[in-house]
Amino acid sequence: MKKSLFRVLSLVVVLVMVVAAFAGCAKQEAPAPAAADAQPQEEQKPKSDTLTMYSALDEAEILVYLENFTKATGIKVNYVRLSAGEIMTRVTAEKDNPQASIWFGGPSDTHVAAGNAGLLEKYESANVAKIPETYRDKQGFWSPIYVGAIGFACNRDWFEKKNIAYPESWEDLLKPEFDNQVSVAHPGSSGTAYTILATMVQLKGEDAAFEYMKKLHNNIIQYTKSGSAPAKNAAIGEAAIGLAFAHDILRIRNSEGYPIELKFPNDGTGYEIGGVSLIKNGIAGEEDNARKFIDWVTDVQAQELSAVTKSYRLPVNVDSKAPEGAVTLNDLKTINYDNVWAGENRKRLVEKFSADIASTPSN
Amino acid sequence: MKNDDNGLRGKIAKLNPFGKEPLVTLVIITIFIFLFIFIVYPLYKILIISVTDSNGKLSFEAIGSVLANKYYLQSLMNSLGLALAVSVISLFVGYIFAYAITRVDMPFKPFFKMMATLPIISPPFVLSLSMIMLFGRNGLITNKLFGLENVNIYGFNSLLVVQVLSFFPIAYLTLSGILEAIDPSVEDAALNLGAQRGRIFRTVTLPLSFPGIASALLLVMVQSLQDFSNPMVLGGNFHTLVVQAYVEIIGMYDMKKGAVISIMLLLPTLAAFLLQKYWVSGKSYVTVTGKPSYERPKLNNPVIKWSAFALCSLFTAVIMLFYGTVIYGSFIKIWGVNNQFTLENYKYIFTLGSAPVKNTLKLAAYATPVGGLLSMIIAFLVVRKQFIGRKAMEFVSLLAFAIPGTVIGIGYILSFNQKPLLLTGTGLILVMAFIFRNMPVGIESGTATLKQIDRSIEEASTNLGASSFLTFRKITLPLIKSAFFSGLVYAFVRAMTAVSAVILLISPRWNLVTVSILAQVENLRLGVAAAYVIILIIMMMVAIGIMDALVKRLVKKKETA
Repeated sequence: MKKSLFRVLSLVVVLVMVVAAFAGCAKQEAPAPAAADAQPQEEQKPKSDTLTMYSALDEAEILVYLENFTKATGIKVNYVRLSAGEIMTRVTAEKDNPQASIWFGGPSDTHVAAGNAGLLEKYESANVAKIPETYRDKQGFWSPIYVGAIGFACNRDWFEKKNIAYPESWEDLLKPEFDNQVSVAHPGSSGTAYTILATMVQLKGEDAAFEYMKKLHNNIIQYTKSGSAPAKNAAIGEAAIGLAFAHDILRIRNSEGYPIELKFPNDGTGYEIGGVSLIKNGIAGEEDNARKFIDWVTDVQAQELSAVTKSYRLPVNVDSKAPEGAVTLNDLKTINYDNVWAGENRKRLVEKFSADIASTPSN
Repeated sequence: MKNDDNGLRGKIAKLNPFGKEPLVTLVIITIFIFLFIFIVYPLYKILIISVTDSNGKLSFEAIGSVLANKYYLQSLMNSLGLALAVSVISLFVGYIFAYAITRVDMPFKPFFKMMATLPIISPPFVLSLSMIMLFGRNGLITNKLFGLENVNIYGFNSLLVVQVLSFFPIAYLTLSGILEAIDPSVEDAALNLGAQRGRIFRTVTLPLSFPGIASALLLVMVQSLQDFSNPMVLGGNFHTLVVQAYVEIIGMYDMKKGAVISIMLLLPTLAAFLLQKYWVSGKSYVTVTGKPSYERPKLNNPVIKWSAFALCSLFTAVIMLFYGTVIYGSFIKIWGVNNQFTLENYKYIFTLGSAPVKNTLKLAAYATPVGGLLSMIIAFLVVRKQFIGRKAMEFVSLLAFAIPGTVIGIGYILSFNQKPLLLTGTGLILVMAFIFRNMPVGIESGTATLKQIDRSIEEASTNLGASSFLTFRKITLPLIKSAFFSGLVYAFVRAMTAVSAVILLISPRWNLVTVSILAQVENLRLGVAAAYVIILIIMMMVAIGIMDALVKRLVKKKETA
């Protein structure tokens, strides 16, 4: 008897649980915004001592930046790490009710696209005056925080074993000994790869550039989807050479110790500008903190932190020193990369690339 | 209530929506509301995106540009071909395991059982990474063992291997549920009538497991179609549709094209679903009738026994090779470069990276019982009850399974980012995504098993005065315990290992472990990633053990009764 009573009770408990779960949730969906309990309080408070961030930097790097920012300002930062494309997607989808106030890191072209889509709030820090004009956003939607040149990540073990000289120019990449050894991302899915394509077009002219990419195609093992994959492929020996930005290459080499040699093409290279921007209608009460972050991250102290993180992202503030041992853009032959032109021609060039080059399978 | 409900009273009761069992009707309605809010509505939002321009006006430009491009059609064919191959092979492997474990007197059974479920309890891209570490250019096997250079593992073949390894456990779980449920006396009767073992298999066991075969094929196929991480890592020049959708959305910021491609992906799923229903429906698979039954005698014919053992051992060896690589990787300094032993990777997790582990566990713990129970209730309603929209309920509950994770993520943001449904940034949105995305395995194995069970057992219970719920709890649930168990396990592991669906839903407060693993992989900190995976696997094994014990306890009383 007692046992069956227990059974009935347990049944009732299960039923109540299920029904209550539904009913409870249903109630939450009803008028009261019960789900976001933290929100209403923040709305009432005019100022908050927190900042909510989407960041495209590496987790370990973010932590270094945030620790120093909190030390300097007392503002506590909550962050989510995503790739730049994922941040763009989230910010777009959350347009009507943004869930973060600041977007830290990622190539300028994603910030440009977000600015054009009306997702960003203009802000110009006083520090922008100390940043060379070529790096700045003419529209004022985003602020530059670092630059990094395109380089070749070379697998040292492979080169030593084969006793082959490291590539020093774009032309070197076409050598027959690199047959099936070069890894690069597809410009349709990666900003890095698009920067490479746009660089080649600006460097050589469109026809010559596509002629070059066609030749290079013979040496390509795989067009990766992600821009950081080529450097990784070179690191683990899946390719001898990976094309990527210097900081993405150095980050992997310095934090883990993979056998990578970084080379820059001596016939001219392009570069990426990393940006930071304010998300339009971000979380209430955090606007000032977000502006403070932009002021702080473009200032000398934060600019020099890339020496600590060992990513060697190059500072853009002219007062700050480049990390010791880093190759600066002044040491390289860089082209005068026109990112406005690059942005405007993106769709056309990518489609041309897909049609003429990457549609033919490489081996 | 004590009378048979075939009479006039029963008919009247059926007409009344709150009929003789208002609670059942209430549950049906609430389930519909939830399916609508968490599956149909987000899908509708995606659909709207695909057929409007940037100003919100009706436009078929995105659809046109996708259809006009042969490249996407090729990707669709690639996805379909891969899914077909993977599901057929997974079915074979899964059936061999399920048959051997339920029917054959084979040594090391618990071990094989564990190994057959191991691959689903790890984040999907792990197998891809193992593949590269074992068979890549610098691979332990290809390079270190055989001295091969310039191998190219990227493409269809590698994907086939990795996806079969990842998804055959679904086939195994579905099939073992159904093979276990076939009443031993049916096969015994054939044996007593003088049939050979092979003939019994052909004419009794195999036909009776058709619902399970159909379910397994469907589930594996859908799973392969919407797999993102493996093709992303190993696809090379073999492009699949999900990756194309991702590239459009994340790489080209073109949400419209991505939405169109995702909807394209739903078509093969829809076709597979209808085919499966057409194939299986209309036949009777009832073998569990409530008449006295006994422990199944296990096959011990040496030929069957040892060939089953050999096949299971072979697959298990492959699985162990892949996971051994992960274990090895978690204890060395730099995977593939510096093979010195180290505990640093684990230390890192316990000192710096434990919050995401706890978060994930907590959310999965909420989502699993609700999802598991809900899937059994839906299975029960779909198979046993007659109500308007029964087929729709079954189909809609399967839909969320078939949509690429990235698209689910976007659909959820678009749907739940505003009052009154403001859920973004909460843990609840993740729990809901887990529940509604992971139910179908439970539902499929539940319906497949229920179809084997004679209605009259439950009818006897209701005729004796028990309510539908008491019957469900005391008769149905115990009879489908192994389907319930696989539903629970699957809901749990998918919650613990989801990647693409959650990446757009996580928030600073609710960061998840798979996203941390992805970030480690992104930075080539493969040792830490491997250590995360091992910890995750151990946690899931413990949890599965607990669930196993709970499910056994829940249904034990039936056996003593």
